[in-house]
Amino acid sequence: MVEITLNGQTVDAQPGRRLVEVIKEQGLSITNLCYIDGLEPYAGCRTCLVEIEGARPTPMQLACVAQVAEGMKVSTDTPNVKSTRNSVLSIILANHPDRCLTCHRRVHCMPGDICLRDDVVTHRCLTCSKNYRCELQTACEITDQGDFEEPWVGETRSYYEVPPPEPDRGNPFLEFDPQMCIICTRCVRACDSLRHTGAVTLSGKGHTTMIAFGTGGQIHESDCDFCGACIDVCPTATLMEKPNKWVGLATDWTNSVCNSCSVGCTISYGTTDDRPVIVKPDRVNPASRDQICVRGRFGYTAVSDRERLTRSLVRAGDRLLPTSFDEALQRAVENIEGVKRAHGANAIAVLGSPLALNEEAHLLVEIAKAIGTPHIDFSHGPVHRAVSAALTGAFGTHRLPSSLTDLETSDTIIAIASDLEESHQVASLRIKDAVVKKRAALVVISAHWGELDSFAAAAIRVRPGHEAAVANALADEAAAPEGVDAAAWAKAIAAVSKAKQSPATSTVLFAPNGVDAALQGETAKAAANLAIAIRGAEAASGLIVMPTDANVNGIADMGVAPGANGKSFPEIIAAAQAGEIKGLVIHADNPLLNAPGTDAIRAALANLDALVVIDEIRSTTAEHATVVLAELPFHAEDGTITNADRRVLRQRPAAIARGQERSGVAILAALAHSLGSAKKLTTVAEVARDIADHVASFPAYSTIDGAPGTTRALPANATFTAKTQPVAAPANVEGILLTVNRSLFTTWAGASMRSEEADQLHREESAWVNPRDAEALGARGGDAIVLTDGTHEVRIALRLEDGVPQGTVYVPHYYDGGAIMALLPLDGAAAAQPIRLRALQPA
Amino acid sequence: MPLETESRAQIRALIAEFRPNHGDLLATLHRIQHEYGYLSREALEVVAEQLHLFAAQVYGAASYYEEFRFEPPAAVDIRWCSGPACRARNGGGIRDALLATLAVQMNGQTEDGRVGVRLGQCIGTCELAPQVWIEERASHTNEVVGNLNAAKAVRLARALRDGATAQEVLRG
Repeated sequence: MVEITLNGQTVDAQPGRRLVEVIKEQGLSITNLCYIDGLEPYAGCRTCLVEIEGARPTPMQLACVAQVAEGMKVSTDTPNVKSTRNSVLSIILANHPDRCLTCHRRVHCMPGDICLRDDVVTHRCLTCSKNYRCELQTACEITDQGDFEEPWVGETRSYYEVPPPEPDRGNPFLEFDPQMCIICTRCVRACDSLRHTGAVTLSGKGHTTMIAFGTGGQIHESDCDFCGACIDVCPTATLMEKPNKWVGLATDWTNSVCNSCSVGCTISYGTTDDRPVIVKPDRVNPASRDQICVRGRFGYTAVSDRERLTRSLVRAGDRLLPTSFDEALQRAVENIEGVKRAHGANAIAVLGSPLALNEEAHLLVEIAKAIGTPHIDFSHGPVHRAVSAALTGAFGTHRLPSSLTDLETSDTIIAIASDLEESHQVASLRIKDAVVKKRAALVVISAHWGELDSFAAAAIRVRPGHEAAVANALADEAAAPEGVDAAAWAKAIAAVSKAKQSPATSTVLFAPNGVDAALQGETAKAAANLAIAIRGAEAASGLIVMPTDANVNGIADMGVAPGANGKSFPEIIAAAQAGEIKGLVIHADNPLLNAPGTDAIRAALANLDALVVIDEIRSTTAEHATVVLAELPFHAEDGTITNADRRVLRQRPAAIARGQERSGVAILAALAHSLGSAKKLTTVAEVARDIADHVASFPAYSTIDGAPGTTRALPANATFTAKTQPVAAPANVEGILLTVNRSLFTTWAGASMRSEEADQLHREESAWVNPRDAEALGARGGDAIVLTDGTHEVRIALRLEDGVPQGTVYVPHYYDGGAIMALLPLDGAAAAQPIRLRALQPA
Repeated sequence: MPLETESRAQIRALIAEFRPNHGDLLATLHRIQHEYGYLSREALEVVAEQLHLFAAQVYGAASYYEEFRFEPPAAVDIRWCSGPACRARNGGGIRDALLATLAVQMNGQTEDGRVGVRLGQCIGTCELAPQVWIEERASHTNEVVGNLNAAKAVRLARALRDGATAQEVLRG
């Protein structure tokens, strides 16, 4: 630390730091329109001019380029600085609308007002969606400190002389309005350096310079993933969120967490009128920091108000009719107790959701206890337990101390994951960070192509079902397994050898899918073996396991797992089908979407005497219910989730209840109470206290709030073994095998309702088929085809893809509300049974 | 991943010798435009793969240069010289005659894609002003037609429009 003088004040600062960051940290107002904190300066906008005493060739220097040095004397507000900045801004404003600064009515009008008689409409004052949150507007106001004089009076202004260029409104997420662009290139650098996507570029030259996406076409035709990193850095209204674009001026911010995958990116909801209108990354989770993905940014818009379940429903014959919460609750309790009286508590089962909060899961366990049934599980339970058992076998515990923050500092990363870019995008981003910034060697083991492949030193393509065996062969540094490309294998072996030389910075990442428990268990063993081969006794710190859904770790910790003699999820379904289980309570899960064996599940649901569903939407499972209790959407809930590396992250409500919605905690507490639970828990705080008291190593809220983002549900002073385990050899199945994965754009809520708009981009509604398989089938790209296991059929569009090898077909898990799950057996063993393809006439 | 098609394979073969360093980018783009007459979206993507760049970076670089095109050119392009010498000798009139005869805009082409008029930058043969030069895609010829007047320009445009080849026009 050295001392510098800022406007006469003495300030401590890190030598070498960019001056602009220090000035901003000191709370001094400084204009800067092109600098992105943490990245190299671009020095394009020239608005961060300050005076540095004795600087050469002139005291007037750019604060983004200048680096802190001992004894520096900096002034940000001398008349000279201000007038120079003003001149610079006038050049920028020459080609930018300015009515937001000059209109005589500007202090009277608010966003949403329309003043039809004033010329401001034609001059696009209130047609600017960034009004009052625009960095350029703020910069102008800062420079003149509220006494704004138009610096361009009498000058020719190109903005008003040329017709505005066409905006791009072709996609549901991101709007690009080039007339607002000041060519600061922040978006270009954010997309390139912060996301490694490189979808944005500067095009043209001179007066025609403009940012462009991809090869100059529309945004959705480029590589853009709609993560919105460019929106966050855009100083003007050029790049904006399409949803709520015009009302995105939030009056309040709520720090919260995303529940769409197990990274658990912390996000901040901007709210207006008690509902979220905008989402920004919240830097609490040290793995996600300033980045989120399309699901985090736009997830809150997945369900329209119309689609939200705002009233509880009870069954009347074939129909579900709305009723009051109290009556629905009473009916639910009657239903459950009726089954209990007639068939005993053993005829009732409870299902939790891997997307639910810890507090809700805890109450769900209380409900199972109150009923007296040991049958409690969730649709991904078998996979989670198989993986946990494998990890426990290797390390003595499945609660590993590894951290997602280790990814970006790794020198070698081995990812056993179907397509991390789609399923856990921010984890994928941190891997790219390591590859780009640290030249890390990345090995990807997957049954199909994913975007991470292009960053990999070796992309090992395996036959579905062979992931475990191939990963294990890599751990043994064995010869290339059959069917694996020899050149890629050699590179992978080299990466493993390199990893062994720097074990402390080597990471193995395994992302199990939620479908095939046996295979995921074996793959977890292989992943552990690989970590042990590289890191030896320290292996537990070098293996990251990323469940598909947000809170798998949390709800398992809360005890959503079969008790003594309890049935697991597939056993519950089988028992319900056989008529042994007559009553089922499902909280926020949708087995028809999330679990394999759709036929068996549908038959089981139809066979029940009582099905109580607690959900925020009318899911496909809720259609079978006897009672549906309307819950708040996730962004309105209060509680915690436990992410992949067991950080306990606070979810805070960003919306109020509509209709008769209640929070999940309130509903489950009322249900537990009515069913005679001994514990009288009602509020979230009470539930949280009870969890902290009863669940080992789970922190209290005060602890989480004291160290947000770093509080982890890990046992203190744990010791870890490092035991290799044998991995079962896979069966060699002939024919075409299916592989599924969580895709990027399709939302859980949309898919759970089987909404046609679940994937608003309509990008993920096709099956990937190798061109040779397609040729054998006689089908072309875009044709409708049928996938069948002999009994069930799934109709889907064909996409020709070199990214799947011959004999493999990839279908997104959430396609058509999880339609593909019908082709899988209840145990999810996709790789055990080949499917057939049939061409239809081109649709 | 992008599907490997015959056309992509052809482009890849065409630029196989170029390597991922920034020095090769322009040469790669020239090679493609020489062969196909323009830079298609597909070609930009293949170039990006070959040179380990993002497609957007390739487009960004290419769009800087006026001579790189992103739409298929006409079979024959009349490049109208915009240099001062030509302008001084009724270059503007020549341009208007060409555009009116072909019923196109500057940098546009006839509906059948046979003839286009594009802005050219002065190539220094000012002794021939006013001039155009005729660029024929198929034969890669680029010939100057100088000492024009409006009547000659109209005849030239008509002949090309009605199907004459560049060679025939140059001879006649």
